Amino acid sequence: MVKQKILEVKNSDVTGTVNDFLKNLLKSGKISALLVSQSVPSRKVVFPVLISDPDKLDAKVFAPLLPASTSKIVSKITKFQPSDKPLGVVLHPCQIRALIELVKLNQANLNNIIIIGVDCLGTFSLNTYADFPEKKNPIDFILDDFKSNSDKSEQFLRSACVVCNQPVPINADIIIGLFGMDINKEILIEAVSDSGIKILEDLKLDTFKDVKKREKYIEDLIGNRTKKLAAFIKDKTGNIDIESLTSFFDKCVNCHNCMNVCPICYCRECLFDSSVFDAEANKYVKKSESKGLFKLPNDSLLFHLGRMNHMILSCVKCGLCEQGCPMNIALMDVFIPAAENAQKEFKYQPGKNRDEKVPMVVYREDEYVEVGEK
Amino acid sequence: MVKKTNNIGAVAVVGGGIAGVQSALDLADMGFKVYLLEKSPTIGGVMAQLDKTFPTNDCSMCILSPKLVDCSRHPNIELLTMTEISKIEGKPGNFTVKATQKPRYIDIEKCTSCGDCASVCPIKLPNEFEFGLSIRKAAYKPFPQAIPNAYVIDKEGDGKHRGCVECGKCVKECKAGAINHDEKPKNIKLSVGAIIIATGSTPFDPIIKPEFGYKKYPNVLTSIEFERVLSASGPFEGKIIRPSDKKPPKKIAWIHCVGSRDKQVGNEYCSAMCCMYTAKEAVIAKEHDSNIEPTVFYIDIRSFGKDFDKYIDRAKEEHGLHYVRSRISEIVEDPKTKDLIIRYEDDKDQLKEDRFNLVVLSVGLCITQARRNEIAEKLGFNVNDFGFVETNPRDPIVIKPGIFVAGSFVEPQAIPESVMQASAAAANAAALLKDARGTLVKEKKYPAERDVTQEKPRIGVFICHCGINIGGILNIDEIVKYTKNLDDVVYADANLYTCSEDTQKKIAEVIKKHNLNRLVVAACTPRTHEPLFKNSLREAGLNPHLFEMANIREQCSWVHSDKPGLATDKAKKLIEMTVAKTRLLQPICESQIPVTQKALVIGGGIAGMTSALSLANQGYEIALVEKEPFLGGYLKKISFTVDGIDVKKTLEETVEKVEKNPLIKVFTSSVLNSLNGYVGSYEAEIKTAKGIEKFNHGVTLVAIGAEEYTPNSYYYGKDLRVSTQSELEKKLSDLLPGQIHDGEVFVMIQCVESRDEKRPYCSRICCMQALKNALKIKEINPYAEVFILYRDLMTYGFLEKYYKQAREKGVMFLQYDADNKPVVHNNHSLIVKVFDPMLSQNLELPADHIILSTGLNPGNSTEHISKMLKVPVNSDGFFLEAHVKLRPVDFSTRGVFFAGNCHMPKFINESIYQAQAAAARAATILAQPSLSAEPNTAFVDEDLCSGCRLCISICPYKAIESVDEVKNGKKITHAKVNEALCMGCGTCVSACPSGAMQQKGFKDKQILAMIASVGGSE
Repeated sequence: MVKQKILEVKNSDVTGTVNDFLKNLLKSGKISALLVSQSVPSRKVVFPVLISDPDKLDAKVFAPLLPASTSKIVSKITKFQPSDKPLGVVLHPCQIRALIELVKLNQANLNNIIIIGVDCLGTFSLNTYADFPEKKNPIDFILDDFKSNSDKSEQFLRSACVVCNQPVPINADIIIGLFGMDINKEILIEAVSDSGIKILEDLKLDTFKDVKKREKYIEDLIGNRTKKLAAFIKDKTGNIDIESLTSFFDKCVNCHNCMNVCPICYCRECLFDSSVFDAEANKYVKKSESKGLFKLPNDSLLFHLGRMNHMILSCVKCGLCEQGCPMNIALMDVFIPAAENAQKEFKYQPGKNRDEKVPMVVYREDEYVEVGEK
Repeated sequence: MVKKTNNIGAVAVVGGGIAGVQSALDLADMGFKVYLLEKSPTIGGVMAQLDKTFPTNDCSMCILSPKLVDCSRHPNIELLTMTEISKIEGKPGNFTVKATQKPRYIDIEKCTSCGDCASVCPIKLPNEFEFGLSIRKAAYKPFPQAIPNAYVIDKEGDGKHRGCVECGKCVKECKAGAINHDEKPKNIKLSVGAIIIATGSTPFDPIIKPEFGYKKYPNVLTSIEFERVLSASGPFEGKIIRPSDKKPPKKIAWIHCVGSRDKQVGNEYCSAMCCMYTAKEAVIAKEHDSNIEPTVFYIDIRSFGKDFDKYIDRAKEEHGLHYVRSRISEIVEDPKTKDLIIRYEDDKDQLKEDRFNLVVLSVGLCITQARRNEIAEKLGFNVNDFGFVETNPRDPIVIKPGIFVAGSFVEPQAIPESVMQASAAAANAAALLKDARGTLVKEKKYPAERDVTQEKPRIGVFICHCGINIGGILNIDEIVKYTKNLDDVVYADANLYTCSEDTQKKIAEVIKKHNLNRLVVAACTPRTHEPLFKNSLREAGLNPHLFEMANIREQCSWVHSDKPGLATDKAKKLIEMTVAKTRLLQPICESQIPVTQKALVIGGGIAGMTSALSLANQGYEIALVEKEPFLGGYLKKISFTVDGIDVKKTLEETVEKVEKNPLIKVFTSSVLNSLNGYVGSYEAEIKTAKGIEKFNHGVTLVAIGAEEYTPNSYYYGKDLRVSTQSELEKKLSDLLPGQIHDGEVFVMIQCVESRDEKRPYCSRICCMQALKNALKIKEINPYAEVFILYRDLMTYGFLEKYYKQAREKGVMFLQYDADNKPVVHNNHSLIVKVFDPMLSQNLELPADHIILSTGLNPGNSTEHISKMLKVPVNSDGFFLEAHVKLRPVDFSTRGVFFAGNCHMPKFINESIYQAQAAAARAATILAQPSLSAEPNTAFVDEDLCSGCRLCISICPYKAIESVDEVKNGKKITHAKVNEALCMGCGTCVSACPSGAMQQKGFKDKQILAMIASVGGSE
């Protein structure tokens, strides 16, 4: 069975070509419903919808926008009961990685889930996308930019996407590939898993030949992004002390939006939303008396550090926390270096391998040896 | 109910080392009164002096100390230190033990261990606990964790230095009034039903080997002295320095077999643990100081225990231990530098000379003549050729009826063997005295608990001076004043010693008078005294968990003695935090887990049968499940043993005993179909030929054995002249004299497909299998030729004598290296080619027979049982014990035990005592009608739990399971804690991100209140 096939692009309509392919999948009954981004009525932004009627499909697979964590949506759909019918989910690479983490944490179930991953050209923030300053719409803008091999769109990308060195989906069943392709003519459709192969096997499509070109493109892209990531981490690694961190989170209004939009934060109720920290009036007064004053609402740094402590080893660096922050705190400046360093320490790459356990449950004799033991 | 019996429900355990301590704890838990007699002022033995333990590198004292504390707290154990046994009279079930107790001159009951006596004592003596590497006072405590936790006055001195001169300074200084210089020796008479001797053996004193220069050259130490050098609490505080100039040594040499395997000093046995502790000492030294270059001079590396080979490999590969196979005959000192020069032959037969900054002599254990006189001869025990007490391999821990033995008094051995024998001895004593169980133990009655849940907190705080320990540094008056002003504190006062007997009475009175409902003691560590205070609460009618301690000694006055003002402030804050938590404390009801007093034993080999018999003899009902049609297991394959046990007869007798025992129900041709439940109440489904049988029981024992490995090399299976050791054994057992020809050549190859990458463990028994068969061949025809091609000959302990016998009978031993294995050529005739490093040349041996020693593999049902019982196996597939040193027959899951080859390959006698040990451990549970659950268990807030299962994966006791529940029409998955299995370690609580997992007594709310009380957070 040939695993890599080609969708022929008609009239340079990349989006339309992919939509025909997706409609086909729905019509054939190989998938019963599809989770994919589609325009909302205002047509200003796209949001994920769960489509079962092929006639209603008008997906925007290449829209440079991640309005919400799609992995968390898959978790919501499958957590209590896996789907009886095959369900296709079109996901950005970072969201597939997050979904794998959620599966490891027993928060999602991949039974009957077909993951369709898309080569990611990067995404704009929700506001940039909605009020896009250029003449073209954001989708055409980024696709044209890609076709002409220019980097005009980089100025609009979210900071997480600028330094993302994992733009190619891993652990998908099917990949929709753009990298290394002449997308005026063709798009790659690749079956990665057994269920992916089953879906593609009787589609009459040409076999993809120019594998080397794609591989080279991806290698260069990842190499380039890895350098950018290293430079970013170097640039953002500063003083790690209470004062610096407190001033970094100065603007935090304790809305906990970063936690709500994070694909990894899976607690049913965050400890910081609970009554555990509530105290009587005289405790507040006493606390004030001990230092003369204290800031309210309190515990915002404790919240961020607590959240980081819980999710950082599974952080897929999707940047949704930063996008969700109403005060525009550049959370990626802290979370990307923290994630890279912490994950390196445990030799762990979130979302890479479904069978690998999260570091929390793995004991290695040589991790964090005590001072003097090394 | 009073039982009618002539037996006495008490046992004397002689010797307070790890073996004696284990025996005492097991028996006490089974409901027997125990007298633990110890010659020195503290229990703990040699293990207390070790730095780390192999192969896990656990801190020795850290794992031992909780057991010592358990001993001192156990209501059924009476500690008699400074006591020596002098005579045994009477008969099994009713002995009189006579002993003499030397005066301690300090009353244990009154002594608070504050150390004021030692600080004023003017007499200095070499500290024997540190082997004279440091000094102590005549008034002293042997080591900080000593039990009893009390000082002692040494009036005798050590021969060279005089002891106490009765200057009286300590009497004046002791505020507890604990010192009595006029105390006289006491004669003690104990009535007991059984006796366990666990007096240990002595490290060999190399002074009688002058060629090593011990005590002559300052930089030659024994290995046990080096343990103290390594110890962070030792004379050099864990810094590796050498005695002569207190400088860090770079090159350190260890010399194996000093005083062991040595005809000259009369110790012709192997001490069994030195190879491993040497590797451990070198590894730890290297970890302390990476500049150290360790060299080990050895004869064989006897890494025959579980995971030992892996440890040696790591020592070589990761820590750079340089091993040289060479017997050292002399050490010479360079008088200028005090360095030591060792001449040796290297593996290329070259004479070499090397200079070392420090030399460590790896000394073995021996029974000195003095010790032999002290115990064995005084008590009339038989001794063997090596001067150790004699026992029968079929009954390895019985000296004579009613008198049992455990630990290195019977044979030099490492800690796990001692612990197993100790439990086995307890099982034997318990079987003998089964009718008298529970007759001599008193159950304490407490008043009914007052319900305080609806009351406003009324907290009392007791603040301790601890003599001058706390009061000498901190301003106690100021602290009392501060504490009185804290919210909900209705009483606060200071005491000289809060732990003293009279203060306990005062606590009860104050609770009544002030109607207190919660209590705080600000004093020392909760580790030693918390149970005492909790008991005082119970006696005053309060739930014991309405109590907290603030440690203002270790955490304040001791560490900040130079800053009394700040230390006082810190103490105030610590008390304030503790009060904040105490305010939120709620009573904890210690739930009771009912115990079905029956056991399931899986596996009908010698281990399983021995366990079943031991438990049945203690009065418990057993179901014994064996998958084969007949009982016997691996023993059925053994035809003869080297020590002359009649295997067939032993087997027949044991099977008969099992089958005739009315308490044992045997299920042959049966397998365990399923096992549900937990400690105390299991339900097993046994699949028999006739159908499914159900069996309810309280504990489960696993003894499913191992299997001989079938080799794939050396023409095995392709040429009939190539066989395994057990195939040869079977042939030899049928041969008659004359059926082996003169000059017939047998070549045995050891470690075949063993101790390599695929099977990286030593099977322990194969060297002896080879020797046994070699000796048998020589017995049939002395003119037959036997070659044994070996890597390291694992004849540990007394087995060494068979190695010697074989050499004397002309068996040829050729050593080969792992990377240069023997090769067999088969060109009609068989030729074994092997490189002999001693001769530095290739040898060709034409062979009539080639015999392969292949070792054992885990039994093929191991994986199945491991999954069904949720118990772990190690990387080689053998069952993994809860702790390799101190819990060698327990799984970490409460209520499940194991014995025999499924743990690791071992000899028959070892399987027997391990099986008895497993029975003893099982009986500590079965002896109780119900078990107290750990009070501080974890519990789940089901509405908060996301069902992520992190807690389940990391729980070391397999106490948490995932539960599906339908709530409001939706399926919810959440964690659930089994209170019977939870040990209250709190690991799950720290792993749970949402706070759904909480621990009683350590709830988030309580901890956060502590932090908030001192203005914590931003």
